[in-house]
Parts: sequence; C-alpha cells; structure tokens
Amino acid sequence: MNNVIGKVAATEKNPTTIDDFYFWTSKNMILSPFDVIKVNHINESITFGVIEEISHITDTASYLTSYISNDFGDLSIKPNTQRIGMNYVRAKVIGNTKNIYIPLRDGEAVNLANAIEIKQALGLDKIKNPLVCGYLEMYESAGEDKKVSLPIHFNSDFLIGPEGAHLNISGISGLASKTSYAMFLLKSIQHKYLNHEDETNSDVAFVLLNVKGKDLLAIDEPNNELTKSDYEIYDNLGLDDKPFSNTKYFYPYSDNSISNTYANKREIESQLELDKAYKYKYIFEWDKDNLDLLFSNVDDPTQTMDSIINYIISEQGNFGNIRNWEQFRNEVDEHCKPGSSKDKEITVSSWRKFKRIVNKSTKNNPIFAPRASEQDREVRMQNAIKSIRKNDVFVVDIAKLDEGLQSFVFGDVMRAVYDLKLGQFEDVDEKDIPSKIIIFIDELNKYASSDVPKNSPILKQLIDIAERGRSLGIVLFSAEQFKSVIHDRVKGNCSTHAFGRTNEIEISKSDYRFVPSVYKNMMTRLKQGEYIIQNPIFRSLLNVKFPKPLYKQFK
Amino acid sequence: MKKILPFIESETSGKSYKTHKYCFDGIDMPNLIYDDNQELTFKKYGETEKLSSTRPLLEKAKEIQKFSKPIFRFFLDGSRRTYKVDDMAYDNRVYPVIAGQIGVGCCERDDKGNLKNKLVEHQLVLSLPENASKDNKKDLFFNNLVEKVNENEFLKSRNLKFHKILDYQDKQLQVGEKYENLGIAKIQDEMVEQEKKIVSFLAQKNLLNEDAFLLKDGSLEYKTMKTGDFKDLSIIKSNYKCVVGVSKSFNPEKCSDKRGQSNAKKIAELGLYHRTPAYMFESFVARGKKGTVKFAIWYVRIRDAKYTSSPFEGIIKVEKILVSEDEQEYGLDSREIDMISAHLINERNPVCYGKDNRWANHLYPVFLTESFIKSKYLSNQYFINLF
Repeated sequence: MNNVIGKVAATEKNPTTIDDFYFWTSKNMILSPFDVIKVNHINESITFGVIEEISHITDTASYLTSYISNDFGDLSIKPNTQRIGMNYVRAKVIGNTKNIYIPLRDGEAVNLANAIEIKQALGLDKIKNPLVCGYLEMYESAGEDKKVSLPIHFNSDFLIGPEGAHLNISGISGLASKTSYAMFLLKSIQHKYLNHEDETNSDVAFVLLNVKGKDLLAIDEPNNELTKSDYEIYDNLGLDDKPFSNTKYFYPYSDNSISNTYANKREIESQLELDKAYKYKYIFEWDKDNLDLLFSNVDDPTQTMDSIINYIISEQGNFGNIRNWEQFRNEVDEHCKPGSSKDKEITVSSWRKFKRIVNKSTKNNPIFAPRASEQDREVRMQNAIKSIRKNDVFVVDIAKLDEGLQSFVFGDVMRAVYDLKLGQFEDVDEKDIPSKIIIFIDELNKYASSDVPKNSPILKQLIDIAERGRSLGIVLFSAEQFKSVIHDRVKGNCSTHAFGRTNEIEISKSDYRFVPSVYKNMMTRLKQGEYIIQNPIFRSLLNVKFPKPLYKQFK
Repeated sequence: MKKILPFIESETSGKSYKTHKYCFDGIDMPNLIYDDNQELTFKKYGETEKLSSTRPLLEKAKEIQKFSKPIFRFFLDGSRRTYKVDDMAYDNRVYPVIAGQIGVGCCERDDKGNLKNKLVEHQLVLSLPENASKDNKKDLFFNNLVEKVNENEFLKSRNLKFHKILDYQDKQLQVGEKYENLGIAKIQDEMVEQEKKIVSFLAQKNLLNEDAFLLKDGSLEYKTMKTGDFKDLSIIKSNYKCVVGVSKSFNPEKCSDKRGQSNAKKIAELGLYHRTPAYMFESFVARGKKGTVKFAIWYVRIRDAKYTSSPFEGIIKVEKILVSEDEQEYGLDSREIDMISAHLINERNPVCYGKDNRWANHLYPVFLTESFIKSKYLSNQYFINLF
C-alpha cells in the first residue's frame, strides 16, 4: 500500500520548525484536521504530525486574474487547462520515535500512518489503567483500505484521580450531546469497575443529577433504537452493551396537587415496585442547616441573610423549639411583624426579604414535609447519600424543581457526599464508603458561573470539590453550554476537558486561545457524538467520537 | 578543491581576471526582444482560400469547445539563463566567459485539463571563445575539456555536470557587436537544438497526431546550423506536421504587404477572435539540403484590445511549417488554419495576469511549461558561485 501523500516544503517564508511544518499534497487528497501523518527524519527516526490547517492555492496572482481568466467576467467560460493548484497543509509535530526535534528536511515524503503508528504518535500506545473514552476515525475519505478506526483510552488515574480529576464538558444544548457523552464515560467507568479491570483496588459510585425532562430517569433500561452497527461499536470498544446497573432513582416527593417530577406516576410506581426508586423529602429538624443553600443565588452584600440563617441555626429566639416547616414559617412571620424585632441587629425588612425567599421555595411544596416514612420509600437526601455503596448509581431528579430548589438539592447532595467522604457520619462504616464518588451535574453555569455571588455556599462547595476532591475521592463531572462563563477555579481544576459543538462567540473567548484556529472553527461544526478532548496524557487535542447511549431515550 | 574557473584557466592556459559575476537576465539584450526574427513580406497566400479580409472564429471556437476535445496535447518551451562569470585573456585579447543554464521542457495535458511533465532537459553549459583551444582540433579539445571539468571534485560533490562547452567565434567585432552576445547566441543555439530533439522524440514515438498537436512557444524558423543532429530544418521538417509555433511578441514593422507597405495597422486593428489571412513565408535562414523551408503564418487576436495596453497585445503570431508538396505549392488548408486558430482561441483562459506582464499574449499551458522549466534552474547565487 503506497501511503505517500505529499512532500515536506520548507520555504523562506514558512520554514519547518521544531513545532510545525508544511507539506504539499494533491488537491484531490481528502484529509481532515486531526489526521496523523508521518515523515521520515534523520537517523532513521520517524516524526509524527497532526494536521492543523489545509489550504488550496493556485498560481492565480489575484482575484482580478481569476476574473480576467473568465473573459472578464463571463460565467460560461470553461478553460481547456486546469489552473495549476495544490493543497498545502500545516501540521504540528507531536513526536519523534527517537526524540529528535530538529526541523524536518525539505522534500521528505509525507505518509499516512497505520493504526499502530497513530497510537504511537498520539501517545495512546502505553496507557496505564486504560478507560475507554471514545474512538477515533482517521482518513475517512481516503478510501476504505486507508481508513483507520481505533478506540481511545484515558488513563483513569487522570480522569477520576488520584493523579488528575474532574471532567468538564461544554457545548450547545441539543447539538453537542453533553449528557450522552458524560453518560458514555460513566458507563465506561462502571464497566471497568464491575469487571474488576481496575488494578488499584479502588471502587467507585455515582451520583447523577437529572436536570432535564426524563433524560436520566431510565438509565437502567435498554435503548430500543440502537442498531446492529451501534452495538458493534460498543463491542469494538471492549464495552458490554447493557445499560447501567445498580441504579437507584430519587424523586422529589410529590402529592396529589403538586407534581415535582416529569416522570409520570406509572413509571415511578413501577420503579418503586422494583425497589429502585425513592421519594426524597426535607425535614426541618434535620435539614435546617442547609437553609443557606436556598440563598445561593441571592446577592447578600450586607450579609443580613447570613445573619438570619445563623440566628436560626444557632436556635436563637424561638427557633430552638421548632419541629416543622409550618412552625418555622410562622416563627419567621413573627419576626416580620412591625415592632416585633427582638433582635435589634436584624431589621424587619431583612426578615421580610428572608420570608419571601423561604416561602417561595418551601411553602406549598410537598418536599418540605414534617416527616419521611420509610415504609412508603420516602427518604431524606442526606440519608440516601449515606447509603451509597460501590458501583451504585444514584439518580437525583431535580428537573422540575424551580431554580432555587434545584440549587438547594444539588447543594445538599454535594454536602452529603462531602461529609460522607470526610467521615462525618458516625453511623456509616468507613469500609462501606466507596473510595471514589463521581457527581455528574449538567448546567454547571447555574451554580458556578463567574456571575454567581461570591458568597454562594454552592459555589464555595464546588470550588472546594474542584480543588480538594481529587484527594478526597470526590470527582466532579460537569457540563455547561458555555465554558467561558464558568468560574476559573472550578474549570481550572478539571484535568479533562471535552469540547462539543459550540458557537462563534464562544470560541472568540480567552478560554479557547490555546486552540489552533482551524480546530476552533471545527468546534462550530462538530457533529452530534463528536468531541474534541483535552487530557494531560494526550500529546495534542483529539477528535473523538462515541456511540449512541445504551439506556432508554425519551424524546 | 578547485572551483571551475581556476581549472579552466589552467587547462586553457589563459589568464582569469576574476571579474564580477552576474546574470544577464534583465539586462538589455539587442536582437532578442522579439520571439521572431523574420522579415515578412506577404506576397503569397499561405492557405487554400484567398481571404480578402480577416475571419471571425468565435462561433467555431465555441462549437469546438462544445463538441470536441482540445487539439493541443503537448506544450513545448525552452529557456536559457546566461551569466557572465569571468573575463579570460588569451594572447593579447580579453574574452568574456559565458555560462548558462538551459531548460527545455515538454508538458502533456490530460483529458481533465491537468498538465504533467512529459520530458525535461536541464543542462549547464559554458561558452568560451574558440581560441581557448590553442590547437586545431578544437572540437576534440572542448569535448575533453568538459569531461575534465566534470571530473572536478567540486562539481562531483554537488552532483552537477556540465553538458557541453560551446565555443563562440573569435572574429573582428563589427560596430555594436559584442563577444558576450556571440557567447549567448551559442547558448541560445544549444537550447534550440534541445527543442528540436524533443520534437523529434515526440514525432518518432508517434505521440503527435491529428488529435494531439504540439504547441511550441516561439517561432519555428530554425536557422540551419553547422553542427548538431538536427541542424537542418529542411530535412527534419516532417517532424513538424502536427506542430504549431506561437509567438507572443513579434515585430509588426517587419511584416509588410505586397507593395512593401507596413502591415502593422491591419494587424493592430484585427477584430477580437479574428484571424488574418495566412501568408506564405519562405525562410532562407532555414535553407538546407532540401531547399528552403516554407511556413504559413497568420495572426489571431485572443484578447479584446480595450483591455490591453498596446494594440499588439492580445495578438499571437502563429506559424506552421508547410510539410507536404501540396502544402508548399498551394498553402495550408484554410479549414485547418481555422481549426487551429479556433483551438488557440479556446486556449485563452486562464490567464497569467499578475504573474507575467505578457499575460495578454501568453497561453496558460505554455506559461506553466515555462514556469516548470524555470523551477528546475539552480538559483543564480548558487550557480554563479560554482565558478
């Protein structure tokens, strides 16, 4: 098989350098950015490059020449001779088999590489603790015999710790399939741990927050729309074709008048019957410490809300005697009455603001209840998290809750996981705690955008997890539409970044400054099921694909 | 390791002055401005029909483009680059040493309209005065000299070879005549020889036929030479049955009608996509063993005069050697002339505007062939420093 596609050209203006080189190729040779090519170098070494930019040139001196070449603008002209033209390609050097990095020599033949060479070139051939993260297709249009498709693996130490942790996925909703990609990776992780492929003796559990419709409410049920070729992809990637196992669903408690979930009653009931669903509630006595989470998106420059929450948590006034939300609201009402302020430091107007926010969320919502009945499969979220064991997948549904409550539940889940991992719960045996807990949250921008008030307890929690989670075994998988709005300390601590389809405005932001312009433009054209991945063990950005999800999809 | 000049200095027992070395390109060269060098007098029609006026060919060109393939398949061009590399004294006279790079190439156009190299010759030559040889057998001397030069390690290490050492005449110079020009003319002759060689090759391989013409850049009027395998055009003219010579630049003043009046105005006013009648031209320069060589010569306008900077821009001069007895007697078939002209009109696009000042007269495949040949040249700096 002759794989020579062109030759290196070092010119006065564009010399070959340690970092990159140019080569020319036929104008009909179909190549794509991210394709790997190889070039022979001195001492019988081979240099590998990744294509960054492809340009087509002819000897047309100017647009005017082209116009004149058509009889001064005659559209019907068909010339006998094709203009001389070729493509020239800019490639980035990504490695040399003998670590020789002096610039490539002019005139050296440029070849397509085979699967083994591509792996070697991208540094994918000696990956420890491999965890499949998709597959790569190369030379797609160069003909069947040249096409290469190969699975790509992360070193799991760099995705879920201890070396590096946290994943951030960004991309436009509906076009980037962020959730699907996160779920694919989670599936890959669960597969690895269920099949004891991990060599480190660690174990892992998952907490997923369902933020959109019924997206994640049937992840243990098969996807009936998959075709044979989809299953073949899973097979080639070395994954089984079953949906998630050990799944438990947590629905916000609903009563007859108010429904807190998009899942219909019948679906929930059948899950309840199969012992895999719970309804969660918040009980004042136990959950009042989380009241601050209701205020995560409230600007509180004078910290009066903080003072009130402190007042309540420290059981000042009558707050020590309160058992339920009803009494709590009544007590707050008391403080709102004119002239009734018992504490001079907090004004009545602050109490009123507090009341407004608390009432908005807690009044009329059945999840704020006097008690949770175990017989009826009702739980407190914190207790539920305490019960998580290795390989468990907990799905917490918050999709239909209002924004304030979504933050409240998410904050509570994070706190519970944090406390669990820190050993704060005396009633949990340490050996039962999974060594790693992965939390997946979509729409991270709601909780960790750079506009979120600095004192937001959820932001603080997220930063804490981002910065310390790696050593604690708490791994954050997050997704959002626009990475540029996310708080620097949150995204900065993610070891792995996945870029899905995005828009022009986004790629002009500083977050994308390191990305070559062609890749940037590619980001605006990526198909569903296609991502550009950055991970510390990869020598360059990779364009990976992943198969359709194995679990039931709701349209 | 000796460079070339010290070596030649000692081999020819001359004295080198190590003068400034430079390339002649871009320096005023008399007699070499025009592609043609013919004194044309249109006494006789060179075609079967007796046209009284010019003939419009756009419709025919369109028809050809629609229903048939382009007739021109091969494109030939030659070029040379000459350098003055030294002054060398023999006896009491000082002669210039001229070096040159000759490039002759032929490109073939495939059915998709892409040009590919068919043949290319890139040669390095030297031009010395004939009395650099102190003995009578100068041919032998120069042949030996070139072999010795090529044995030079300096050249060998660079994988270079000189093809020939040419000798220019040592004679009393006329007014305005220069040894430099004599030397350059020798190199030019050598280039022409290479061109003829390529035509001969194509003809002998039967690559040229009714559907595969060769378009040669410049005039076909090759003067008869004293030496060389293809020195006599009258003998080798059968190679030129399917060859058309197209000159970009011609001297309109050298073309006169029956009464000796200049034809320049008529040519300048040639209509767009029109051709002039073809005239017969009998070349005495190319006279050989089989007598004179006759040509049919006509002009075609391929660009609208309103877009060009002079009325002669956009007009090409076309030559075809009259090969058969009939052709020599009655001229070329007018239908063939129309057909060739129409095909030439179809070659007008694309243009090399912006790359070459002669764009209006240039035909793109010829331009490409020329560019290709020039790309084979050693850079001027590199070449000059061999000496």
